[in-house]
This record gives sequence, C-alpha cells and structure tokens, in this order.
Amino acid sequence: MKESLMDILCDPLDKSELELEVDERDGEEIIEGRLVGTVTGEVYPIEDGIPNLLPPDMREE
Amino acid sequence: MKGKEWYQADEVAQEYDAKRFSKGGRLIDRREKQAALDALGPVEGKDVLEIACGTGRFTVMLAERGANIVGLDISAAMLSQGREKARAAGVDDRIEFMRGDAARLPFPDDHFDAVFAMRFFHLADTPVKFLTEMARVSNEQVFFDTFNDRSTRVLYNWLLPMGSRLYSRDDVTRLLSDSNLTLDDEAHDFVFPYGFYRKIPNDIADEFRGLDRAILDSGLGEKLASVSYWDARV
Repeated sequence: MKESLMDILCDPLDKSELELEVDERDGEEIIEGRLVGTVTGEVYPIEDGIPNLLPPDMREE
Repeated sequence: MKGKEWYQADEVAQEYDAKRFSKGGRLIDRREKQAALDALGPVEGKDVLEIACGTGRFTVMLAERGANIVGLDISAAMLSQGREKARAAGVDDRIEFMRGDAARLPFPDDHFDAVFAMRFFHLADTPVKFLTEMARVSNEQVFFDTFNDRSTRVLYNWLLPMGSRLYSRDDVTRLLSDSNLTLDDEAHDFVFPYGFYRKIPNDIADEFRGLDRAILDSGLGEKLASVSYWDARV
C-alpha cells in the first residue's frame, strides 16, 4: 500500500484513526508493517504490500 | 458468507478467470464490463471503491480509464491475482488492494464518488448490512448486480458450487429502501444464464447471444432476464 492511503483508512471496528508502523518500505510503498487502532488497539498487518483490514473475528491466522 | 473458503483457495483464485471467462464466458465478461462502464460513466479522476473485487477484472479496467480505485476482497489469493493484473497493465499506481469485511469497511463516511460490487450480492447472507455500508462510504453512487429469481437461472442454480441468493424486483426495492438508496437506472440481461454460456464454445455462444438479445428486445426482457444491474444514488 502507498503511504498516502493513510489519509482515508480508518479502523473497521469504530472508524477511529489508525497509526502506521513500517518494517519495510520501497519509496512510497509500504511492504511490511502494521496499522494499529489508536482507540481499539487492534493490530492490522500489512503483508507483501497488502493491508489486512479484516476485523479480528474474521481472520484465519 | 457462502463460499468464503472456496474463494480463498489459491488454486481456485488462479483458475478463476480462465474457468469463468473463457469460451462463451467471454461474452459475459464483456457484458459485465460494459454494464459497469455504462453505470459508472467517465471515471477519470473519480474515487471509486470496488467491493469483492476478486481477481481485479473491473478494478484494473477502471484504473486504466483513470479512476483512483480501491479494490477490497476477503481473499488474499484473489487479491494477489488482481495485483499481478494491475502490474501487467501498468496501473498499480492508481490501485490499492486490501483485505477487508464488506460489512465493516475501513473508510470514513461519504468518501468515494462511486462504490460498486459485481457478482457479490448472490453470495451475500446479509445484503442490507452490506448495501448500507456501501452507501455509507459513498457520496453519490452505488452500483451492483443481482441474479434474478424469475428467470431460467432458477433451473441452473443447483449446479452452482455454493448455491446463490436470487432476488425479485420487490427484494431489490426493499433492499434499496432499507439502505436509504434511490434507484436511478437499471438494466436487465441474459435470458440464458451464465452457467450456460460458460459451457459452450465461442462461435455457438455468439449465436445464442443473438437469440438472447432478440428475446430481451421482444418486451419479455425484464421478466426473463437472469441478471439485473442496479444503479442507485445515496
């Protein structure tokens, strides 16, 4: 995902803000990292450039 | 949701386009893309969200026409097909793919100019919930298709891998009003259902498609069509 996507993404659970933590990037592109709900504390992983915003009850991992 | 596991399998995702849109399925692909383009109009510079984007058939097409588009799907396997397609088309700078739940979208209210879902509502166990959420994040347009319960598709439904939810006009009217949407335009097509076209070769498919069109044009169109496209406004 591109970092600019942060302008629109919000926590699927309560639509509150997310915080981006980056482990690996390629310019504007975030390859690995996570999005953390500033209110819910929920962690949404970014894997291979694709953010996983499935709520925790829908994740198979 | 029906078929959730099925769509998540790598081998299903890899073969999805080839299985569905080769042979007579080519006609379906073309018609569905036309329906999306007719409804969404010129998309250049528009912010668009596609729900259940799967392998990105529509996502990539709209990015090629200048839309800034987000493709959301539950399945990582389908999205990785989509991403390959976007890269091959050279439009990955205008597309973002992500995994998410269509009933709990990770976007603020009214963000997108258009939100659409193709081949999604026949798999939806809670359609009002999904359509309401699509309407929430759109500032103008919501577009989707349904498979109809009054058509020949009923005969074929038991052949589908996971069964399909079929909609009458009343179902759709209720669904729209429960989601606070207003119908703006509609189109109806395919007297012979998708499953039929998928099984026959191209040259025969073209002939049946001609017959299909003739029946639709005869005035029986809406009554016999197996697929309807619904274009709504918030």
